[in-house]
Amino acid sequence: MLLSKLPSGMRYYLGAEARLRRSVEDAAMAVFEGWSYEEVITPSVDYYALFEQGMGPAEAQASFRFTDSDGRMLSLRPDVTSSVARVAATLLAERERPLRLCYAATVFRQQQQSHAEWRRENTQLGCELIGGGDNSADLEVLLLAAEILNRIGLGEKFVLTINDVGIFNGLLADLSLDDAARESLRRLVDTRDIAQLQRFLDDHSIPGPIRKSLLRLAQLTGKREVLEEAQSLITNDGSSLSIAKLFDLWKVIESLGMKNSFEVDLADVSSLDYYTGLSFKVFVRGVGYRVGRGGRYDKLAANFGQSEPAVGFVLSLDSLVEVLGRDATPNGNNGQETHSIVAKDASVRFAEALKRRANHEHIRIQVSTTTR
Amino acid sequence: MITIAISKGRMQDDAIALLAKAGVRLSAESLASRKLALEDESGEYRFIFVKPGDVPVYVEHGIADCGIVGRDVLLESEADVLLPLDLGIARCRLVVAATDPTVITRAFGMLRVATKYSRIASSHFGARGIPVEIIPLSGSVELAPALGLSDAIVDLVETGRTLKENGLTVVEVITESTGRLVVNRASYQLKAVEIARLTNALKNALEGATAA
Repeated sequence: MLLSKLPSGMRYYLGAEARLRRSVEDAAMAVFEGWSYEEVITPSVDYYALFEQGMGPAEAQASFRFTDSDGRMLSLRPDVTSSVARVAATLLAERERPLRLCYAATVFRQQQQSHAEWRRENTQLGCELIGGGDNSADLEVLLLAAEILNRIGLGEKFVLTINDVGIFNGLLADLSLDDAARESLRRLVDTRDIAQLQRFLDDHSIPGPIRKSLLRLAQLTGKREVLEEAQSLITNDGSSLSIAKLFDLWKVIESLGMKNSFEVDLADVSSLDYYTGLSFKVFVRGVGYRVGRGGRYDKLAANFGQSEPAVGFVLSLDSLVEVLGRDATPNGNNGQETHSIVAKDASVRFAEALKRRANHEHIRIQVSTTTR
Repeated sequence: MITIAISKGRMQDDAIALLAKAGVRLSAESLASRKLALEDESGEYRFIFVKPGDVPVYVEHGIADCGIVGRDVLLESEADVLLPLDLGIARCRLVVAATDPTVITRAFGMLRVATKYSRIASSHFGARGIPVEIIPLSGSVELAPALGLSDAIVDLVETGRTLKENGLTVVEVITESTGRLVVNRASYQLKAVEIARLTNALKNALEGATAA
């Protein structure tokens, strides 16, 4: 077997890129800390059943699996949220709410959603706000994500697309579609495939007003005007409530002068079974797929015996570093002067080394490359 | 600037004609050249001409913001892209064909299917519970049953003439295929205004074509 080959989807980070990666991670963690989020470190290996509950079977399928010595199935963690939800519902069950938790951790998946996401090991920068059920919690995580992207120098390059899955779900509530049909419909709206969507709606004899709303919904991407149109177009109780909530968020975003960084995307229905309200995605110029996603998942905690609202997001550190790395100039040593230490005598050499290190200076010891 | 990947071959001329009707024009000079990357007359659009199967690859990676490619190719590639517009060009059908049409329903232990569309064929027969051996070929698929390589084929059919001349008949239509406008997910949000302008121009050109 060729030992020089890496498994597909795995890579090295070296030199300037490794440093950039660490500095982006530090910047993100500093922002989390600034908003009072506490770091949690979760196990890299956990029971597969945890992720099946936490992410849903479809997504958990992508994980790397193996068996424990007692025969139970283990998984390299494909996400961190499942584990955080469990710790919140168990160890931290008595802790005062809201809980604010954050992490920077690697996750592993055998396949990604897009073929362009070739990595199978990714570092997620993420946070969870648990126990906060109102608009303010939603806004907090949105603004937190925006602050991180601004601080790492992507201010002009990113957009956060927001939606509330209740709008789509409200439209479906009155239709009696089985799971397979519901999934087809979801996929057609998500890929904005109007032509096939029309065929689907004909085949399933979807009534006029809902038909019209679904066809229009698949095209509703933009700013305030999208919400205004949705408000007059879609009038069932469930959807209207969700549109109103999203509109409230939008008004605050506008009042903060941040509408250029946000976009309403009512056709984003990618993870319906997971999110229960707000859902959002992060796109950055220069990357063809989403570099982060988040939203509200009020049903997740109930899987672990404690029903409570939660909202959070993840950003892919690897994708962010990929964009930032293209503009960065590689530099060897962080711009600091490095002192070469050449003294022949070992005592003299290391006495100088320790003295300079005591002053936090950068040193490089001259070492012979021939063996004696 | 918006980069548009166009499927070379069958679809190319129809796509260029439709784009011209939508006001996106390539000069006669560029069209006559053999360059694989061209800019339109306004300088707002860049075109790249690639093999059909590569269109979803360029678009999914965001190297091209949009693409024009057949639905057959998209189904086979399972690319995660947006498909906002059916351009109605290069209309054809993806079919199962065989020398003997009863071959599919007869109780074979295993049906041998030759095709350029391995994924589509596999999921079509999978959904029907028919066990199949997929034999991937890259062209002249119609030959396979006549020479005994397979029992049936899954292939794209426009007029049906090639099938007929090789003694094959259509057993089932899997789906219809037409040229689609596809859009990268990130470009759809990050270049929302430009993409919407292109989509609307194409939509108007299509409606004009139907009205006329």
